[in-house]
Parts: sequence; C-alpha cells; structure tokens
Amino acid sequence: MSDYIERPRCFCSLGGALSTLEALPETIPVMHCAVGCAGSIAWAQNGGCALQVGGHCGGLTVPSSNVGEKDVVFGGTDRLTEQMKNTLEIMDGRLYVIITGCVTEIIGDDIRAVAAEFSSKADIVAANTGGFKGNSYLGYDIVLTAIINQYVKKSAEKKKRSVNILGIVPYMDVFWRGNLKGVRRILEKIGLCVNTFFTDEDSLDGLKNSSEAELNIVLSDIYGIDTAKAYEEVHGIPYITATLPVGPTAVADLLKAVSKALNLETDVDAVIAAENEKFYRCLELFADAYNDADLQRYAVIIADVNYAVAITRFLLDDLGWIPVMTQFTDVLDDEQRERIIDKLKSPPPLNGPRVVFDTNASEAIRYINELYPKQESDKYAETLSPAMVIGSSLDRATALKMGVPHLSVSFPVSNRAILNRGYIGFEGGLTLIEDLLSAAVAAR
Amino acid sequence: MSYFQQKEPPKREDRLGACIVYGGTLRELADKTRACRCLSDGSRGFSQGSICLLLPGIAILNSIPDNVNLVHGAIGCGACSHSQNANSRTGSGMRTGTVKDAVWLSTALNETDVISGAENKLYNSILEADRLYRPKTITVIASCVPGIIGDDVDGVVERAQSRVSARIIPVHCEGFKTKIWATAYDAVYHGVARTIFDDPDLTEPLVKDDLYFQRLENKKAHTVNLFGVSSMGLADERELTRYLNALEQRTVNPFPCFAEPDSIYKLKYAGLSVCVCPTHDDYLLEHLKEEYGVPYVLRHMPIGIENTSDWIRDIAGILDKRDIAERLISRETAELNAALEKYRPLFKGKRVFISAGEFRALATANLLRDLGFDVAGIRSFHHDEFANVEYEKLLKNVGDDVIINIANVQPFEEANLLASLKPDLFLGHWNGNFTATKLGIPSHVIYNTGLAYVGYRGVFEIARRLYRQLINPAFNKNMSKHVSLPYKKDWYGKNPFTYIKSGLEASEGYDGEEGTQ
Repeated sequence: MSDYIERPRCFCSLGGALSTLEALPETIPVMHCAVGCAGSIAWAQNGGCALQVGGHCGGLTVPSSNVGEKDVVFGGTDRLTEQMKNTLEIMDGRLYVIITGCVTEIIGDDIRAVAAEFSSKADIVAANTGGFKGNSYLGYDIVLTAIINQYVKKSAEKKKRSVNILGIVPYMDVFWRGNLKGVRRILEKIGLCVNTFFTDEDSLDGLKNSSEAELNIVLSDIYGIDTAKAYEEVHGIPYITATLPVGPTAVADLLKAVSKALNLETDVDAVIAAENEKFYRCLELFADAYNDADLQRYAVIIADVNYAVAITRFLLDDLGWIPVMTQFTDVLDDEQRERIIDKLKSPPPLNGPRVVFDTNASEAIRYINELYPKQESDKYAETLSPAMVIGSSLDRATALKMGVPHLSVSFPVSNRAILNRGYIGFEGGLTLIEDLLSAAVAAR
Repeated sequence: MSYFQQKEPPKREDRLGACIVYGGTLRELADKTRACRCLSDGSRGFSQGSICLLLPGIAILNSIPDNVNLVHGAIGCGACSHSQNANSRTGSGMRTGTVKDAVWLSTALNETDVISGAENKLYNSILEADRLYRPKTITVIASCVPGIIGDDVDGVVERAQSRVSARIIPVHCEGFKTKIWATAYDAVYHGVARTIFDDPDLTEPLVKDDLYFQRLENKKAHTVNLFGVSSMGLADERELTRYLNALEQRTVNPFPCFAEPDSIYKLKYAGLSVCVCPTHDDYLLEHLKEEYGVPYVLRHMPIGIENTSDWIRDIAGILDKRDIAERLISRETAELNAALEKYRPLFKGKRVFISAGEFRALATANLLRDLGFDVAGIRSFHHDEFANVEYEKLLKNVGDDVIINIANVQPFEEANLLASLKPDLFLGHWNGNFTATKLGIPSHVIYNTGLAYVGYRGVFEIARRLYRQLINPAFNKNMSKHVSLPYKKDWYGKNPFTYIKSGLEASEGYDGEEGTQ
C-alpha cells in the first residue's frame, strides 16, 4: 500500500456528516470550520454524485462559521456562538446540527458547550467530525451516533415490527433514495413498518422516534455498524447486518434473516416465491436476446464495500456472469478484509473472483494482467473477453485499456444522472440488469 | 525583497486590501473606494460556507498535463477534483485528442499525523508518486492541516527533489489563512515561478552573437502570453487567439491551464503578456515584467462588445498594430450586431441580476446592458482595486442606484435581494444558481469552461443561451412552486445587509500601498 490515496473516492468525515444532514428533512447543518469546506464538498457532490447537490439546506447555503487565522490563535467558540445565535434567527429548521472541520477540531473548540447555550431555543446536536478523523462513511456514523445520543427520543416504547434501515450513506451511494425506497417496498411485503430517514417520503419525526424500532437492519458489511451499536447501547435496539440486497438471492437472504430476528409469523417463503415469479416473468423476455447475443460476461468490479460485495454476489448468484476480479477501494483493516473475502466465495469450478484491497484503482490493470499471464500461443490463449468493468466513472480508463464496456455504480458517478433509480430489491435487480445489458449492447 | 524570494506569497487582504463584505449602491461604493482606495474588510455575524483558495488552486493544477497533483491534507481536501475532472477530461480531449483523467493524490492525513506530523508521509508519497506515474511535475498543494500542525512542506520538497525525476512545485493553499480565494492564483504562480521557470539545460547557444539577439527580438515581436487561469475554456481561448493572430502574433502561449510544464519557461521569451481577467494575474505579470522585461496589459476583460474592442485596442497599442485592430474591430462588430438583432427585442427592458467574481460580474453587467437588459443588481465575490475601471463604466451605463453586494457567495443575502427585486433573469456562478432557480427566476451559469463567453463570439453565444432560457423557463418556474429555500419567512422583509458588521479596520498587514516588490 502506498502512503497516499489515489483520487480518494469519498469526502472526509465532515463531508460525510454534512451530506447525511443535507439528506435529512427539516435539518439545518451548522458547519464550524474554515471557509472552503462547504464548497469543496458541494463541488465534490457536483462531480461525483450523479448530478445531485445539496438538498433543502445544502451546497453553499449551509451556515458555516468560516473561521480564520485569528480564531486559530484565540479559539473559535465566540464566532460559533455568534453564528449559532444568528442561524436560529434566519434559518428555518427543526433540528440544527453543529459539525466541525479539521481546523476547529485541532484547536479544540468546545462545541457541546455552545450547543448547550442554545438548547432551550431549539433542538441542537453537536458532533465532532473533523475531516482528519476519516472518510465520509465514518462521518455518517459519527453524526448519526451524535443524533442518536443527543436528539432521538429516549426510553421510547417499542413498536412491533418497526425497523430502521442503516448503512446506505447518502451521496456516497448515489442511488441512496431509490435504494432506500426499494428496501422499504420489499420489507413492507412481510408486514414491517420501515424507517428510512432520508427519502422524500420520510419526515424528521421518523428519526426522532426511531428509538421505537424493534430491530436495526444494517445493509452494509462495514458502514452503519457503529450507528447500530449506538442504538443498541442507548436505546436497546438489536441489529443485524446484511449485504446490500440487490436481486432475488440477496433479497431472499435478507427477508429470511429479518424474519428470524423478529420471530415473524409471516410466510416469508411465500412472499419470496411470489416476488421471484414476478421477477422472472419480467426477465423472460430477455431469454432469446440474452443468449442470441451471447451477453454473458466476465466482470471486473472496482467499488466501495457496499457495491463491490453486492454487485459481485448478484453477478455470481442471479445473472450468471463470471466476476474475475473485485477490487475494494476503501481503507479496511485485516478483520474487515477477512469478513469480506468470505462473502465473495463461490464453490468450484466457478470460484469467486480474485479479491484485491487497494485504494489505488489505476492499479487494477496490473492485477488483471497477473490473472492472465502471457501465454505460449496467441491463438488458443485464455483471455478476459468478453468482459465488462463495473465501478466508478474513474474506472472508464481501465475499461478503455481493456477495450470493454463500463457501468458506473460506485462513487464517483460523474457520467450518469440519478434521482430515483435504485438497485435494491427484486425491482432493483431488474433495473441493474437493464443497465448492465444496455452498456453491453450500446453499440448495437 | 521580491515576494518570490519568500516561501509563500502574501494573502490578498494584505497585498491588495481586497475585501469580501459590502452592501449598498453603486454610487456609495464608488465614492468609498475613491476616498480610501479600498473598503475596510468587515465581517458578517451570520455566514454561509463558501470556497477557499484550495479549490481554484487545485482546478488549475489538475489541468496541467503530465502533472501529479499531490494534495497534502485531510482525505476530503481535493474532493473538489471530482467536478473539476470534467474540465480536465474535456480539456485534454479537445486539445490533444486523448481524454485523460486528472491525477490527484491525497496524503489523507489522519489523527496520528495530526499529533506526530506528516512530513515523512509527504516525503514517501512524493517518492512513490514519482516512481509509479513518472510525471514531469509533482505539485504539492498544502491545505489547512499541515498549516496548523506546522509541517515544513518546503523543507520536505527540498529533501525529496534530489531523489525524484519530476520537478516538485510546492503550492500553499491553507484555507484558514485567507478569505480571498483569488490568493490561489498568486499561490500557484508563486510555486511555478520559483521552480520551473529556469531554461532547460543545453538550450543556451554557445555563441550569443548579433544574429542570436536579432532572432530573439523577432520572435518576441510575434509571441504573446495569454493568461487565462480558469476564466475560460478552449472555445474562449480560440476566440482570443484569433484576435491575437490577426495582430500578427504567431505564437500564443496559453497559461496556466493545460500548459505543458516543460514549456512554461518560454513565458519569459514573449514580447507581451495579456490577461483575460484583470483580477487574476497581476502577481505573475508584474514578476515577468520586473525580472524578464515582458510588458503586460491588464485593464479590460474581453466580455461584451465594447470591452472586447478595448481589450484588442490596448494590445494593438503596445504592439503598434492600431490600424489592423480598427479594421478587425469594425468588421467583427458589424457582423455581430447584425446577428444580435434577432435577440434584442426579447431582451429589451428585462431586469437582470448578476453574481460572479468581481470583474466577470461587472463586465457581464455592462454586456447585458448593451444587449438591452436593465441591471437590477450585482453581487461580486470580492472587491479589489483592479475593478475600479469597470465600476466607472457601470456608473456611466446603468446609473448610481444599482444595488452592489460584495460577498463570498452568501446566498442568504442573495435570496433576500432577489425576493424584493424580482428580476426577470439571473446569472450566477458554478453552484450559485440554485437560489434563483428555487425562486422561479430564469437563470444561466455565468462561467463554465465548456461554454463560450469572451470576445465577440462570446457575446453572441451568451445572447443565444439567454434567449433559450427566457423562452422556456419551465424548469425553474415549476420547481419554485413546490420547493422553498431554507430561510425563515421574516428574513425576506429585513434589510439584506443586516448581518454585515461595519467599522472594522482593513487587514492589519495592508497599509494602503502595495507591498515592497
């Protein structure tokens, strides 16, 4: 591993916290940081989030203390106090969340004390999100944990069959709204009340009352787990984790796991069977063309944890493609890596893909070349063809080198426009098949 | 001592007395700046997030071919590259035929680095980047964190230089140090001039005889540097190059965006430097003049018919090509004015509000006035002395009472102004049109490197695009019926400049005169 990270496919923890807050209804983020942090994140969204920027209070609208050299010397809490007072005067929200950047984190401003000063006037949460703490996925966990501790209703009575969805990080997952709606649709089929926080169908009350849930479902092998732990500790809500449920196999696994965790009496198998029936009735129209055009592909997957696992599994289990390499571009520790490698295995002769952990995605071509060493005969060589690269828009360069089509699904997605699309659920699986095969036949 | 002998350039608050806070009428502003040359740099009791010098700094460096842009900071500093990469891709594609992603890396400083310093991490990153990418240059751009924890970036660069084949350019963009993001241009120029301005080895002739000097002079007479920073994309660059070619300038060196690093030293051998936006380039233009005798023109921005003509005239004056210039101007303006006839009736009397970097905002206001619009208000991102010439033109063209708001974006003031002024059209910067959009005002981006803005062609293209926005503003109109801005209702009734704190002194480092050069 290098000392640097090539073209980091994320924002910082402040950026992740800000994006999370921007996606929440009726919420006003208050940044306590240098002047450029908001702009840097807005520009990053502009280029990386499939044209989605901001939200109700996002982009360059976000209140920010814009601390300067003087504040670094004398401390920035006076500036924040003034900013907070005026923010309450001018900005219209129900929840105000103070988040910090590197500068104010290093100088050690006591933001909890400032928040406390105004607590009689509004609901205010303070979260230490200084950018050097880590990436935007961590920022999601930090800010939600702070909200759970400081804002979510305490000792709420549990509501039967009510669940919260965690692990889908707004903006980092550019399909977040479509995905959250997808998971709600599928879980409602087994009679659950699903709290997703971030979609246009959610309100802030959903978050406020999220302590009523019986179970938290983390749709990620890594992200959102800290948030789930906070819920467990503070509000006594147990959690399960599952792979992002894209397509029939992953959805069925999720439904079974949830049903078991909640001791549901619903006939989950019947629901799964009915949904499968619909899925394949839809897909059967491809039975001719898929085979006629020989659309089975080898696949190279370069993505964050959620998509790398979900796409690889979907291709292995549902679509029947051959993933040859899956590269994770997140920074992960050894324990996390082992957990993830296990998820991508497949019995021989299919086997799973070669799994690579490297933040530097331009190295992908080197890993691929290692899989296909130069052979004696050009005529009868085993080659990576026909293939497709599924990753971020930055992986177009790799696809171009390989001379194969490409689909952007993981941040950054600069070459697609996404508002409502999602890959979760049975319907999401169909959408993903549409997108993959569209890329494959684009030149037809 | 020259600024360029210091490790870092001064911030513009100190060097130019630049400021970001003002609200009032055009006349009041003009009187104030006449009296004391600069406004005192006030502050706001309420502020919104904006950009810092790191962003334009990165934007320029990401465009340099064969450069690795190593961002020394937290993992999110540099994330702006994800949108700037669109410019790097299309820019390289159009110029070289090969679409290339910018190469930016991050030292991704973490908690351990903040405590124990990150000089070794930076050092190793430089060595590794050099080995893997084999770039011509590595720009090390430092953000807030190394500035606060005290990393000696220049020391590391010096240590690493002898171990790598790329030339390393340190660029200081610590965001908390200045609120004037135009300091970014100085920071980039400072780094470039200190590191890659030397002639390549073995280019010196063995004998510098008369013929050598004659050749040099002849070449200089036909070579001009075109300073564009990120003010323009290729369409604009080609338009201005066309005029310069007409003035018998055979070699045009566009700089700094997409400038080949190995050729940057050639800037010293031009006969003249011209710039697109007077706000951007004085720092290096002055250096080129003082150190290498390259004169420069810095007065008008070639946006609008009159401005473009004046821009050409200024250059032609120095080159002694006045006749050619007048012929060019009369032919071009006649053709353009005929083409504009179609659009003028729709524009006539429509009220327009403009927001952008100072010079672009003012020049565009003059252009729109020329097209028949009434100017309802102008917002500039900062103010400094270079724009005074443009304010004078505005006073003449649009009158005393136009609202001027100087703000490093601050959309809350804009929302208030737009709600009361109710203009028919809004032109705003990148990530700055959403307020007008959500209020249902037809809007258009005032700067985008993919579009044409400057020169005569720019006038026509702007007119065409505004016409298109005005004849079907359904996107904005519909949205405004269903979404709202995040401000409380009573904010709209208040004075838009309620949160401006006056009575503050100018930056302590600024004494009213430009520092020792």
